[in-house]
Amino acid sequence: MAEVHVIGQIIGATGFSESSLFCKWGIHTGAAWKLLSGVREGQTQVDTPQVGDMAYWSHPIDLHFATKGLQGWPKLHLQVWSQDSFGRCQLAGYGFCHVPSSPGTHQLDCPTWRPLGSWQEQLARAFVGGGPQLLHADTIYSGADRYRLHTAAGGTVRLDLGLLLRHFDRYGVEC
Amino acid sequence: MNPNEEKVKIITEEFTENDEDAQVRRQKKKSRAQRQQRKKQPRTPGPEEMVSENCHVGPPLEPGEEKPDTHLLSTTARRGPRSLPPVPSTSRTGFAEFSMRERMREKLQAARSKAESALLQEIPTPRPRRLRSPSERESETEFGTEPSKEIQGTQQEDDLKSYTRVKFHDSVRKLKSKSQAPPGFPSAEEAYNFFIFNFDPGPEEQEEKPTVICRDGANQEEEEGEEEGPAQTGDETGEEGLLDGKDAEDFLLGLDPTAHNFVTVRAAEYESTHIRLQKEKEVLFVPSRLTVPTYKKLPENVQPRFLEDEGLYIGARPEVARNNQNIMENRLLMQESGRKWFGDDGRVLALPSPIKPSPSRPPQFTQELSNKAELETLYKKATKYIHRHQHMIGSGDPPGNFQLDIDISGLIFTHHPCFSREHVLASKLAQLYDQYLARHQRNKAKFLTDKLQALRNAVQTGLNPEKSHHSLDTTQTNINEYKSEIRQTRKLRDAEQEKDRTLLKNIIKVWKEMKSLREFQRFTNTPLKLVLRKEKVDQKADEEAYEAEIQAEINELLEEHAEEYAQKMEEYKTSHQQWKAWKKAQRAKKKKNKQAAEENPDEEGGEPFPEEEPVKPIPPEPTDTAIIEQQVRERAVHSRRRPGEPKLVPELTLAGNTTPNEQCPRVEVLRREDVKRRSVYLKVLFNNKEVSRTVSRQLGADFRVHFGQIFNLQIFNWPESLTLQVYETVGHSSTTLLAEVFLPIPETTLVTGRAPIEEVEFSSSQHVTLDHEGVGSGVPFSFEADGSNQLILMTSGKVSHSVAWAIGENGIPLIPPLSQQNIGFRSALKRADAISSIGTSGLTDMKKLAKWAAESKLDPNDPNNAPLMQLISIATSGESYIPNFFRIEQLQQEFNFVSDEELSRSKRFRLLSLRSQEVPEFRNYKQIPIYDREIMEKVFQDYEKRLRDRNVIETKDHLDAHRATVAKYLQQVRESVVNRFLIAKHHFLLTDLVAEEEVPNISSEGSGILGLSLFKLAEQKRPLKPRRKGRKKVTAQNLSDGDIKLLVNIIRAYDIPVRKPIVSKFQQPSRSSRTFREPHAASPSAHSPAHSADYPLSQVLVRPFVEVSFQRTICHTTTAEGPNPSWNEELELPFRAPNEDYSTASLQSVKDDVYINIFDEVLYDVLEDDRERGSGIHTRIERHWLGCVKIPFSTIYFQTRIDGTFKIDIPPVLLGYSKEHNMIMERGFDYARSLSEGSYITLFITIEPQLVPAEPVREKFDSQEDEKLLQATEKFQAECALKFPHRQCLTTVIDISGKTVFITRYLKPLNPPPELLNVYPNNSQATTELVARYVSLIPFLPDSVSFAGICDLWSTSDQFLDLLAGDEEEHAVLLCNYFLSLGKKAWLVMGNAIPEGPTAYVLSREKNHYLIWNPCSGHCYGQYDTFCPLKTVGCLIGPDNIWFNIQEHDSPLRINFDVTKPKLWKSFFSRSLPYPGLSSVQPEELIYQRTDKAAVAELQDRIEKILKEKIMDWRPRHLTRWNRYCTSTLRHFLPLLESSQGDDVEDEHRAELLKQLGDYRFSGFPLHMPYSEVKPLIEAVYSTGVHNIDVPNVEFALAVYIHPYPKNVLSVWIYVASLIRNR
Repeated sequence: MAEVHVIGQIIGATGFSESSLFCKWGIHTGAAWKLLSGVREGQTQVDTPQVGDMAYWSHPIDLHFATKGLQGWPKLHLQVWSQDSFGRCQLAGYGFCHVPSSPGTHQLDCPTWRPLGSWQEQLARAFVGGGPQLLHADTIYSGADRYRLHTAAGGTVRLDLGLLLRHFDRYGVEC
Repeated sequence: MNPNEEKVKIITEEFTENDEDAQVRRQKKKSRAQRQQRKKQPRTPGPEEMVSENCHVGPPLEPGEEKPDTHLLSTTARRGPRSLPPVPSTSRTGFAEFSMRERMREKLQAARSKAESALLQEIPTPRPRRLRSPSERESETEFGTEPSKEIQGTQQEDDLKSYTRVKFHDSVRKLKSKSQAPPGFPSAEEAYNFFIFNFDPGPEEQEEKPTVICRDGANQEEEEGEEEGPAQTGDETGEEGLLDGKDAEDFLLGLDPTAHNFVTVRAAEYESTHIRLQKEKEVLFVPSRLTVPTYKKLPENVQPRFLEDEGLYIGARPEVARNNQNIMENRLLMQESGRKWFGDDGRVLALPSPIKPSPSRPPQFTQELSNKAELETLYKKATKYIHRHQHMIGSGDPPGNFQLDIDISGLIFTHHPCFSREHVLASKLAQLYDQYLARHQRNKAKFLTDKLQALRNAVQTGLNPEKSHHSLDTTQTNINEYKSEIRQTRKLRDAEQEKDRTLLKNIIKVWKEMKSLREFQRFTNTPLKLVLRKEKVDQKADEEAYEAEIQAEINELLEEHAEEYAQKMEEYKTSHQQWKAWKKAQRAKKKKNKQAAEENPDEEGGEPFPEEEPVKPIPPEPTDTAIIEQQVRERAVHSRRRPGEPKLVPELTLAGNTTPNEQCPRVEVLRREDVKRRSVYLKVLFNNKEVSRTVSRQLGADFRVHFGQIFNLQIFNWPESLTLQVYETVGHSSTTLLAEVFLPIPETTLVTGRAPIEEVEFSSSQHVTLDHEGVGSGVPFSFEADGSNQLILMTSGKVSHSVAWAIGENGIPLIPPLSQQNIGFRSALKRADAISSIGTSGLTDMKKLAKWAAESKLDPNDPNNAPLMQLISIATSGESYIPNFFRIEQLQQEFNFVSDEELSRSKRFRLLSLRSQEVPEFRNYKQIPIYDREIMEKVFQDYEKRLRDRNVIETKDHLDAHRATVAKYLQQVRESVVNRFLIAKHHFLLTDLVAEEEVPNISSEGSGILGLSLFKLAEQKRPLKPRRKGRKKVTAQNLSDGDIKLLVNIIRAYDIPVRKPIVSKFQQPSRSSRTFREPHAASPSAHSPAHSADYPLSQVLVRPFVEVSFQRTICHTTTAEGPNPSWNEELELPFRAPNEDYSTASLQSVKDDVYINIFDEVLYDVLEDDRERGSGIHTRIERHWLGCVKIPFSTIYFQTRIDGTFKIDIPPVLLGYSKEHNMIMERGFDYARSLSEGSYITLFITIEPQLVPAEPVREKFDSQEDEKLLQATEKFQAECALKFPHRQCLTTVIDISGKTVFITRYLKPLNPPPELLNVYPNNSQATTELVARYVSLIPFLPDSVSFAGICDLWSTSDQFLDLLAGDEEEHAVLLCNYFLSLGKKAWLVMGNAIPEGPTAYVLSREKNHYLIWNPCSGHCYGQYDTFCPLKTVGCLIGPDNIWFNIQEHDSPLRINFDVTKPKLWKSFFSRSLPYPGLSSVQPEELIYQRTDKAAVAELQDRIEKILKEKIMDWRPRHLTRWNRYCTSTLRHFLPLLESSQGDDVEDEHRAELLKQLGDYRFSGFPLHMPYSEVKPLIEAVYSTGVHNIDVPNVEFALAVYIHPYPKNVLSVWIYVASLIRNR
C-alpha cells in the first residue's frame, strides 16, 4: 500500500570514449511492486557534446509505484550506446544502480562497464565498430556469478532522482 | 566381594600402617571406616549393580558433617576416569609411589597377577560393565532429579578445585615419596617433616586438613576404581612409568636438588604390540564386516517378511554402504535386546530417505567455462537503428527462429472405400490382434493374480499368532483391509481374465470368418494369416493350481458370507428383540383395549392400524457351500482357461499369398485398379495455415502409404494448432479432403531424436459408393448373402508421425519462450489427464491433482505411483505449498506489508492504473484524490457495468432487438480491434514529437528556393490578390478545450426553393410530366413554360440564411435575398473533443455531424392595430427550413478541408415552396446545370488549427491469399503509385476478421430481394432505381468511426446486411453485386468524391452510356453530369480484374470508361498473370427474411411518441399543442410518399392539405432517413428547428411512417409541420 514516486532525470554521461551517446534505461522491480503510472523503460535522444565531454540528455523519469513490500526495491538499469558517423549504434556500457530508498533528491553516479570479448572482438570493435553485447540483458541487474565476464570500464551516467515515499511509516518502515 | 579387591585393600592398608603420618592416618581411618562401612553394603547383584552403588549408598552417609563432602568427592572421583582422565593419573600415581618402588611393584605385580588370574576366570564380568556405561549414565540421570544434577555440576567444580590442591600436595608428597630411603635411613618424608613441618604455621595446617581429606577420599575412591576395572592396570602402569620421568624432571628443576640421589634410571617399560592387541581384544569389541545371516536378526523360527511384496509401500531406504551396514548390524546384535533394531524383513529399521530427489536450490554451475550461458556475450555488428522495432531495455532481443520438426512417416487406412470385404475383416483382425498384443504386454491378469497371491500371503502371516510385536488391533484392521483388497482384486482379476478370453475368442472368430470368406470368393486379397500356437501345459500341476485357486476363492467367499451372515444375524437379533418387545406391548395394549372396548366398543376397529406393525424378522439363511462352489466354478469356467487346456497364443503374420489379378473376378480386378489409381498426400497446417505438404503417394494394395518425410517448420510464434489434412486424389481428377488430423503440440521437453512415433487416428464422414468390390464408405454393406447384419463403415485410418522441437546448433532446443503460450493452451492442458501433464510446465495446481488422484482411486501402495503420492502428500499436507520450482524472492509473503487483495482493493491505485491503461472511462480523469476514502464507489460503477454488460444485450437504448444485437456485436468487434492496435497507437512518429520548421533550402521545390523567397521580399505587395498560405499543422498532444475551431465558409447557394404565393388557393397540378429523372438524356419537355405567366410579378422573394449547427452550437449567416444568394461569410464553431481527449484516436472517433441548414426568413406583420402602423413596426420573424447538408466531422478531420458545391438535401415536399427556378433563367444559358434538379450550396470547411490526421496503421495482416498473388498486388500498387501517386489504387482489403483478402473476391452477382424485383417486373429502369434505393436505405456508418481510424474493414454483403451498417465500400459492393445479378455490366469505382473523400462508387453501363451511382444516397449521375460528387476516378474493380486509370485525367467527365483499352486502363490480371479463378468470399446467395410488420408498427408508434416528447422538451417555455387532425392527414400521406419515392405527389398533397386545413398557415416537410437508431432521427428533427417557433397559437403536427423492406431495412419518414391559424 505504500507508494513511491520516482521523479527525476537522466542528466547525462561523462567519461565515455565515444561521443554521440544515447541511453536506454529501464526500471526493474520485484514482484511486490506495481507500476501505477509512468513508463518503465525508455530511451533518450542521441547527444553529441559540443563543449566538454559530458553528453546531456536530461531525460525525464516519472514513475509511480505501489508496493506491498520492500523486497525488490526498484533498480535502474542503463545501457549507454553510441552512434557513429554512419548512424550505426554500438554498445558503450551497461550500468545499474538502485533507486535510492530515502526521500528527497539524490544525485547518482552510475558507473558503467561493457563486455570485453576476445582479442579478435576487441580488434574488430576498434576498427569496424560493433562489439560484444550481453545475450541476456537482465544479467545487468541479476546476481549471477559474473566473475567470468571480462569487462572494460565505460563512463559514468549521472542521474538526478527525487523520491517521494508515502505510507511507509504505516508499515513500520522509517524514512 | 571380589577377591582381588580384597587384596588391593590389604596392600593399601599395609601402606597406611607403615607410612602414613599420624594425622593422615587418623583421617584415613575415618575414611576407611567409611569405606569399610560401605563395602559391607550387600553387593550380591554383582558388578553391574556397582554402578548405581553410590546412589544406594548415598543416603546413609548424609547425616555426617563432612561426610557428604567426601562422599560427593568420592563419587566424582570415581567417575573421574571417564570424565576427567588426567585427574586420576596424577593423583593415583602420587599415591602409588607412596612406598618404595620395588616393593610396591612387587606387590602390585603380585596383586595384578592374581587379579589377572581372577580376571581370566571371570572374563564376562568386566565387559558388561564397560558396555554398560551408557546405561549407567542413564540410570544416574534417571535417579537423579534436577537438584542432583546441579549438585553434580558443583561437584565438578569442587573437583577441579580439589584437583589443583591435590596436585600441589601430590608434588609435595612426590618429593616425600622420593625421599623414601632404604631401611635404616631416615625416610625422606621424615626428613622433610623434620625440616619443614615445624615451620608450618598452625592455621595453614588447619586449612589443609580438608584438602587432605579430600585427597584421601579421592584416592580411596581411585583405588576402588582401580579395583573395579582391573583391566586398566596395564595402561596405568605404563602411565606410571611416564609420570616417573615427569617427576624426575620436576625434581631436576630444582625443587629439591638433593633428591636426584634417590632416583634410579630404569628402562622404559614396553609392552609388545602383540600383547597389547591381545589385551585390547579383551577389552575392545570390533564388529565384523561380514554379512549377518538373517536368522540371527530375527526371533527364532520367524521367516523374514517382506512388506513390499505384500503390496505395502515402503519408501526408498537411505543409501548406506553395505560394509557399514554390516558393521552396524553386527554391533547391534552384540548389544542387549539388539534385535529390536531390526524389522520384520531382517534389515535395520530405517525411515525413508529424507533426501529430496531434486535439489531445492538451482544447480550450481560447475566451473566449466562452457556453462556460462547466461553470461554469454555476442559480438554484434554496429547496426543502423531500426525504427520499427523499438528496442527496449529489459525486453531482451526479439526471440530468434524456432523450429518444429514434424516427421510424417506414413498413413494406414483402417477403412477405405476401396476395401473389399476381406479387407474389412483383415483390418478388424489386425485391430483385435493389436489389442491382444497390448493386453499381453501389460498382462494385467497376471499382475492382479500375483497381487492376490501376495495379499493372501499377507493375510496368512497376519493371522499367524507368532507375530507378536504388532498390537492385535492393528493386525486385525490390517487383515480386514487386506480382505477387502482381496475381494476387489479378485473381481478385477476375474474381469481381466474374462476380457482376455473373449478377446482371444473374437480373434479366432474373425479369423474363421475371414477364412470362410476367402473360400467363398475364391481369391485372397490380403496376406494376413493367423497362426494359433498351442503351449503345452502340465496337466496335473495346472489342475492343482486351478483347484487350489477355486478352493481359495470358495474359502474367501465362505468367509465373506459368514461375516455377512453374522452381521445379518446380529441385525436379525436386534430386530427380533424389537419385534418381540413390540409384540409384548401390543399384547398389553390389546388387553387394555379389550377393557376399553368393553367400555366403548367403537374405538376398537381403528386401533391396530395407526402403528405400522413391524414385520416379523426372518432369520437369515446360512449360506450353502455347495451353491457358492458352483458359482465359483461356473465363473472360473467362463473366464478362465480350463485345466489342461493348452494355452493359445495367436500370431498374426503377413505370410499369406494374395491371389494374382488374372485369377480374380472382374469386380475384384476393377477394385484393385481403382486402388492403384488413388494416391494420398498430406498437408501440414500450422496455425491454420498451410505450410507444406507431402508428396503424393500411391495407395498400396495394403492401404498403407509411406511418406517418411520430415518437415522443419521455422516458426516465430507459439503454435496454436498443428493440423494434418489428408487428401486423396483419384486418377487425375479432383482431390478431396478426406479428413483433418489434429496433432498435439509437443511439450517443451520433447526434442528431436527423442520423440517417439505416435499414431493419430482420423476418420472422414464422406459417403462413397463404388461399382466394384470395394465396400464403400458410409454405405451399408453386409457379409451375409441375404444382406442382413448390415455394417456401415466410415473411412478411417491412422497417421503415424512424430512432432518435436528441433535442437539448434549449440544444443539448445529451439522452443519459443513459454510466455508466448496463451492461457487457453494451458487450461486445455489442465483439463487433460493429470498424470501425463505432471511434468509439463504451467501445471501447478496440486489440489486438483490430489483430487484427481482421489477420484481415480490410484493405488497409493503402488510403487509406480509413489512419486505422485509423495508429491501430493507434500503438497496437500499443510498450508505450505511446496512448488517444484525455485523461488527467487523468498520470504516475500512474510515481509509483505499488505496482501494482494488489499492492494487490489485500493480504489486509488485502481483508479491510477486504469487511467494509465487509458480505459475509456478514465482516460482523462484528472486529479485523483489522495485518500481512498475520498474516492466514491460510483466512479467505477460505469466501468464495472460495462464490463458486466459486455454480453448482455440491452434493448432499452435500441427500439429494435435486432439492431441492439448488431450494436453489441459491432461494439465487440470494435473492442477487439482496438485492443489489437492499442500498442500501435502509442507509436509516435518523429513528426509527432518534433515540430520542425522547414528550413528554406535552395534545392527544395516550390516556394522554398532561397533565392526566390529573397526575391519575393522585394516583390510588390498586392493586397487584393491574396495567396493561400500553408498552415502549420498542430499535433494533438498540446491541445485543450477551445483551441480547436471549425471554420465554415459559406459562399453561395444555387436554386433555393422560392416561396409560393399564398394567394393561389388551389392550383392545378401542372408539373406532372417529369417522372423519372433522366440525367443522361434530359428531355426538355419538362420545362413547360405553361404557367410562367403566374410569376413574373408576383414573385415572392426568398430570404435564405444558413445556420450551421455542430455539437449543439449554432451559428448563422446574415440573410440574403433571392434563390441564388451569396453570403461569403465565415462562421466559427468551437470544437470540443469527448472527454477533453485530443489524441488522434479520440478525434477520429468523434461521431458528430456538421449540419448546414438553410432557412427562409419570413417576416410577418403582427401589428394588431392599423393605427399604429405609422409609428411602429411589429413584425415577427419566422424561419422555414428549406434543406440541409450534413457532413460528418470525421470527414472534415481526415480531409482537413472540404471545398466544393454540395447538393442540398431538400425534402420532397416543401409546403409553401417550389423550385420553379427554371422559369427565371429560362433562356437555357446554363443547360448543364438545369439538368440536375435541386439546390446547391458552395462551402469551404476546415479546422483551425490544422490537425494532423492519424496515419492509418500499416500493419501486415494475415492472409490466406496465395503468396504470389500478394506479391503481385504489391508490385502492381507500387507501379501505380509511381505513375500517379494521388490516384487511389486498391487491390487488397481487410475483411472483418482482420485478414487480407483480394478485392475482386467481394464482387459476385448476388440476388436482390425478390420483393423488389416484383414491384416493376417489366421496367428494368425502375427496378434498378428501387434496388439502389434499397441499398441506400441501409444505414451508413463509417468504419473510421467504428474502428477509430485503425483500418478500413470490408464486410461481405451478407455480413453487411446482417450488421445493417457499413460505409461506402459495403454499400457500393452490395449495389454492384445487385447490378451484376440484374445482368448489367457494373464496376466498383474507387476514387475521390465530395464530401466523402476517398470512396467507392458504382459504375454501370447502360446501352450506350455510363451511369455513376452513389451507393449511399441511391442517386445516379450521368458520366457528364457536372454535379456528380465523384470527382476523380482511381481504379475500376470488376469481379475478375482490377483496372487502374492511367489516363491523363481522372475526372469522370474527361475519361473514357472503356476498360478494354490497355493504353487507358492498366489491368491487374493480364496475359503475364492470368486470372487464377479466385473464389468469392461472398455467400452463394443472400437470404432475405421478411421484416416483422407488427414490430415495425410498434417501432413507428414509439418513435412518434419519442419525437413528440422531444419536441415538447425542446420548448420548455411554451405550450406545445398537437393538431391531431393534421397529424392523421399527414400520416395518410406518408405511405404515398414512400411508394412514389418522393416524386409527383407534392401538388396533390398540397391541394389536399389546403382543402382540409384551409384556415391554417401551414409550414412543414417530410424527412426521410434510413433507420439505424433513434438518436439520428431526433438530431435531424432538431436541426430543422421546427420547434423554434414561438408564436403563441402555434400547433404542431408530427407523423412517422416506417416502411419495411426485407431484411429489416427500414425507411423512416417523419413529417413535421407547424400550423398557425390564420385570422
